[in-house]
Amino acid sequence: MSTGLHMKPVVVEAATTLLTEMNAATGSLTYAALLTDDGFDVARFPAKTDGARFAGMASSMQALGDAVTHELSIGDSEYIIIASGKGHVVQLRVPGQELVLSALFDNDATVGHALAVTRSFAQKMADLLA
Amino acid sequence: MAEHVILFTGPMGAGKTTAIQSLSEIEVVRTEANNSERHVVDKATTTVALDYGEILVGAQEKVRLYGIPGQKRFNFMWTILKKRAKGMVLLVNSDAPDPLGEMTFFLNEFRELYDRGGVVIGITRSDVVDGPGVADFAEALERTNPGLVIPVFTVDPRLRHQMQNLLLTLVVNIEMRAAFGLAAARPA
Amino acid sequence: MAIDVDQVAREQPPAPGEFPVTVGWTQAAMAARSVLALNTPLNLRMIIESHEPLLIDFRHHAFSWSTPLEDFPVDAVHTHLETVPTSPDAPPFFELPGQDLDGLLWEMGINAFGGEPAFWLSPGERYRLTRWPNLTQHSHNLRQVQMIAVLGNAYASTAELAAYAGVEVSEAQRLINALSLMRILTRSAEAPAATMAPQTAAAKRGSLFARLRKRLGR
Repeated sequence: MSTGLHMKPVVVEAATTLLTEMNAATGSLTYAALLTDDGFDVARFPAKTDGARFAGMASSMQALGDAVTHELSIGDSEYIIIASGKGHVVQLRVPGQELVLSALFDNDATVGHALAVTRSFAQKMADLLA
Repeated sequence: MAEHVILFTGPMGAGKTTAIQSLSEIEVVRTEANNSERHVVDKATTTVALDYGEILVGAQEKVRLYGIPGQKRFNFMWTILKKRAKGMVLLVNSDAPDPLGEMTFFLNEFRELYDRGGVVIGITRSDVVDGPGVADFAEALERTNPGLVIPVFTVDPRLRHQMQNLLLTLVVNIEMRAAFGLAAARPA
Repeated sequence: MAIDVDQVAREQPPAPGEFPVTVGWTQAAMAARSVLALNTPLNLRMIIESHEPLLIDFRHHAFSWSTPLEDFPVDAVHTHLETVPTSPDAPPFFELPGQDLDGLLWEMGINAFGGEPAFWLSPGERYRLTRWPNLTQHSHNLRQVQMIAVLGNAYASTAELAAYAGVEVSEAQRLINALSLMRILTRSAEAPAATMAPQTAAAKRGSLFARLRKRLGR
């Protein structure tokens, strides 16, 4: 059980670096955050933004996504997408950790690309913490 | 389908999720995550979006029970859930660091539910710890909100009978306040 | 004036040894009421047939009795009632915390006076609640909850209360007596009758309270 990941400097530093790399890997990232299951902001890109509120909301959304898939008996939620005119949010769990990666891409990126990038970096985070 | 929405509010650890489980006829929809701040509140899990339960009153009538996440960083959920409700059960645990302050805080935060419906207050875990008693809560209520005559009961949220009493007291209060023209009716 | 001091003084319990045996709680309620209303430094000791003594420590708002309130003897035979003087620095009447006095006052108030007005109340009054009793601690029924909800939101006379709640006047009176003894009722001779909003269509369908009660089997 991972508790207080947002309070472990080693984890925060690794997460911050990872998100910087994620930004470098794709031209369309506007905002990204790693947050705990219970809504604490671990790291974000750009680093200087106040990510506390978004972290809370993203965790609520993750939990509601799980509640919906369980209600419909379709297993676990794999990813959540929120699409808007100015960009789309892609969100999924970091495998094996109580962490969520949530990222906002501009509409230059296809949803497929955004999903692939997010999945890839969620796995990298999992590998870092394993 | 006639629907009546009751909101369960109060700080983390007061027993909101438990209370809804005691009352609900359906399996409660929960949104729990592991608590990564055990040093702040010693609970294994915490609600991060909402709890949801139901009581089916008749074929065409339902009471919907929503529980807020108690931690303030989820107050955007409070805004969403406040709008739907006609009344509130405010639960406060006697062993919170500042139970009287929590009561006042949530009463103010959700004041519109009193204004357009009604509120009852349940003090939980009063048998577990030598915290403030019902008289202290009533006195704090009178001091911070003079003129508000709100039921304050000690309750064990695990006990269905006690939670039903609290809920029925809320419902009768909402109806009496409406009957005497005291609640500002929300536009349909 | 709400309290007739002369009348209350005349109603002081007799000295020990001269106590007329009484059945029921009227005398006990009067004694408790006197002490509470006059805020005199007194404790009460009551001897009741077939029960251990009942002790009341008003300063600590507590009572001590081996009989649980769930088994409250409505037709108790009181063989003795005495006041025991105390002072602010005197030790408690019994080992604290004892039980919350409100629970006893509720039972005494409900059961004293046989459904008639308590002797300290005046005709032509209306009543309003100042604070809810902690009903988890008191045996109660849902008609009483309804009546308390009326009083929490409006001034009502006993007759008006009975009408609003659809109960017998005597049942409303018992509740008024109890709430008054617990000192959580405001009394007013001047407050006008409350007006209920005109019956809406929803109200005509019957109340959610009634339907929810039925559903919960209460």
